[in-house]
Amino acid sequence: MGYLADKTVDVIRSTKSIGEGLGITFRNLFRPPITVQYPDERVKISSCFRGMPALLTNRETGELNCTACGICARACPLGIITMELGKDGKKRFPTSFSIDMSRCMVCNLCVEACPFEALGMSNRYELAETQHGSLVWDLDRLSRLGREHPASQVGQPARKGGEE
Amino acid sequence: MWASLAEQVRLQFETWGLPEWSFSLANSLFKALVILHFILLSVLFLVWLERKVCARFQNRLGPMRVGRPHGWLQTLADVLKLLVKEDIIPESADRWLFRLAPVLVFVPSMMLFVVIPFGPGMAVYSLDVGLLYLVAVTSISVLGLIMAGWGSNNKWSVLAAMRTAAEVITYEVPLALAVLGVAMLAGSLNLERIVEAQAGGRWFILVQPLGFVVYLIAMTAELRRTPFDLSEAESELVAGYNVEYSAMRWSFFMLAEFGALVGFSGVAVTLYLGGWHGPWLPPVAWFLLKTFGLILFIMWVRWTLPRIRIDQLMDLGWKFLIPVALVNIAVTGVYLVVM
Amino acid sequence: MSSARGSATRDEKLAGSVPAEAMIAGSPSAGERELERELLVNMGPQHPSTHGVLRVIVRLNGENVVECRPDIGYLHRCFEKICEEWNYLQIGALSDRNDYIASLANEFAYYTALERLVGIEVPERADFIRVIMAELQRISSHLVWYGTFALDLGATTPFLWAFREREVLLDLFEAATGARLTYNFFRPGGVRNDLPAGFDREVKKFLEVMEQRIGEYDKILTGNRIFVARTKGVATLTAAEAVAYGASGPTLRGSGVDWDLRRDAPYSVYDRFQFEVCTAPEGDCLARYHVRMNEIRQSIRIVRQALEGLPEGDFRGKTPKAIRPKGEVYMRTESPRGEIGVYLRGEGGPGPYRLKWRSPSFVHLQLLPLVGPRGLKVADLVAFIGSIDIVLGEVDR
Ligand code: SF4
Ligand code: SF4
Repeated sequence: MGYLADKTVDVIRSTKSIGEGLGITFRNLFRPPITVQYPDERVKISSCFRGMPALLTNRETGELNCTACGICARACPLGIITMELGKDGKKRFPTSFSIDMSRCMVCNLCVEACPFEALGMSNRYELAETQHGSLVWDLDRLSRLGREHPASQVGQPARKGGEE
Repeated sequence: MWASLAEQVRLQFETWGLPEWSFSLANSLFKALVILHFILLSVLFLVWLERKVCARFQNRLGPMRVGRPHGWLQTLADVLKLLVKEDIIPESADRWLFRLAPVLVFVPSMMLFVVIPFGPGMAVYSLDVGLLYLVAVTSISVLGLIMAGWGSNNKWSVLAAMRTAAEVITYEVPLALAVLGVAMLAGSLNLERIVEAQAGGRWFILVQPLGFVVYLIAMTAELRRTPFDLSEAESELVAGYNVEYSAMRWSFFMLAEFGALVGFSGVAVTLYLGGWHGPWLPPVAWFLLKTFGLILFIMWVRWTLPRIRIDQLMDLGWKFLIPVALVNIAVTGVYLVVM
Repeated sequence: MSSARGSATRDEKLAGSVPAEAMIAGSPSAGERELERELLVNMGPQHPSTHGVLRVIVRLNGENVVECRPDIGYLHRCFEKICEEWNYLQIGALSDRNDYIASLANEFAYYTALERLVGIEVPERADFIRVIMAELQRISSHLVWYGTFALDLGATTPFLWAFREREVLLDLFEAATGARLTYNFFRPGGVRNDLPAGFDREVKKFLEVMEQRIGEYDKILTGNRIFVARTKGVATLTAAEAVAYGASGPTLRGSGVDWDLRRDAPYSVYDRFQFEVCTAPEGDCLARYHVRMNEIRQSIRIVRQALEGLPEGDFRGKTPKAIRPKGEVYMRTESPRGEIGVYLRGEGGPGPYRLKWRSPSFVHLQLLPLVGPRGLKVADLVAFIGSIDIVLGEVDR
């Protein structure tokens, strides 16, 4: 008889637990869906979001900040930044600049390394291309990206703590 | 209405001077076509419904793109995709078994519909041993499942086929025992008689609650739906007995699965939930309403529970459901004698 | 089955116990008869429940596991070797990629090791920010585990619910660090940037929602009869075995060993917070489940305290201009999965001479051959792999 009693208790408990589970799923039926219909709608990305790196332009002069010093290229763990130096009297500027976005891991290290605030992380996150070659971004596209997309707020190097 | 229409057509056939058998043939063909279309349409709808319901339980949207609003053309698009997909038969497969299996799974699930009365006098064939026929037919599909699993010559599918066989055969027994109670109460094996016995709100679920629960559990197991979806447990067996199937052959399994879902739910409604009986609406509408309501409940359970393990499945079947079903029969017998 | 019929394949040799000559076609030997009774299957590398690209070679007798061996390396990326080439800052970004479900836990381990080696002071505020982020990361990692574990057991819905909550967390991470998965947020002597304005309010809001949702999780899984039947007494690991095999974290605590580095070998500012170390004595899948669920609650507690006590000050301390340390250090921290150990040796160069990474998932995977043959069924094996919460990125490195 004890066995039967145990069994009955077990059955009642199981039914109750399953009923509770059903109740929870039922309650979720009326929660609003969280899906975002991606190409039609987009999630609002935070102003701190960092997407791919871009070359920043000085708003006043309309020229690139970059002096082609090559520090970012050395800071990049993957060595995917290349550039060529152009000189015009004292002025230094890049004649070419490229980032291989097929390998970039969006780590932000190049931005932090740049002493001239010439690089920033743009908020562009759609990196797919239809052609293999266009994965390597050149000077033109990188500077256009820098003009069109706002740079990430946290992308800028942290100057507060400072170095010894 | 159904019967009188058929009678008129029969008379018409006679005036044309066609022999008697030609009418029977035309009649059967017509009925088969209607049923087939009913199954196909409801499967189309159910696949979409399942995805939608599941999505809503999970706070998602489900299919939205194909056919606005709410992606109602999604299944149709899927069917088209399946039609044009390449049909692959693995090189080491047993070609005959492999080809035969989907058919052997699909046909029994269709055969369920032969005896289900959609309304008064609206069963395809009002078989006097309808209940017996149902119990017999449901056990055929297991052959197809084993053939699919074995014929694919894939280890996972063999494992799944073994599980399926164990599961389906085990749950045949409580299923048959559960419906026995209903047959005792109604005093008939004919499904139409059973529905008629429930007229006036005397649904058998009220006098056979235990039987209904046993039937519901056994039916979920027969349908191999969560929590009893061991045979297609993708987190364990990749995909189950149909892992090697593609294109139309695969979709036959899908058809069979959802067809059986409609069929079993229809039987449950017929046996326990008063069949076509109900106020205001026409009988067929009531029947369909109840059936799809039950299907929604099964979906609800599916998207709530985790999967049971094979030995627990056997325990539940042999050590719990069968004794309970036997007790149910005994109680029903006592009730019949006493009353 | 095809491989049982044909000549010897690599799998069969790997599975061992069947002598090689037994597998030469046409010689019915004891080995072949054995093969007829048993089924050798490859679980993975493409299998839905191996949490990445793990391959488990399983010998089955019916549904019962006779033997199982993990075959790893499909995600090997030469982490340790690459570290010998890169400089200290770059490795921080790379360490994220070990355990990508809990990136910040890796950074935490790596940077505390580096700071000990170089002798960098971390300002208090930076430490608090680190703890907040690491504990939020623990919650998000446990959420992924909860979802996938449920999925392994056949319940699909909790999986999406867990990801629903995790999504909010990822938004928080995005606001603070700019990224959603691999953050590269820690820096020598602190963190890269301060927490954004209003961050604490958002976090508190999330924690409240999370607390309520844990109640729902409990209702749909913890108390569920089927779930308990699937996990209770399954794949039991005794305390002695867990210690002997080097288990750590929730896997160890699930066997009743009261050991948590956050309390027992405190690093950062963990010694300032009140929290319980969750243990469960049974050592089965259910015990590990309870430990992790309680850890989510404890993490919520820690984050609350840290937000309350968040001091003003610098978020990044003073660091030497060039980090070129000499010497060696071993540092261990408590990641969501267990104990991450970092051995770091510098010889005065811009990068380490050697870096050795002890990852908990790798150690836990060794439990598989031990526990597998203990009367586990295929379904139990899946449950066990789910319950030790491995991340293949960390196993293979
Ligand atoms: S982007 Fe900055 S670091 Fe790179 S070359 Fe230009 S100025 Fe130098
Ligand atoms: S984001 Fe990182 S990987 Fe990409 S270019 Fe900059 S430093 Fe290199």
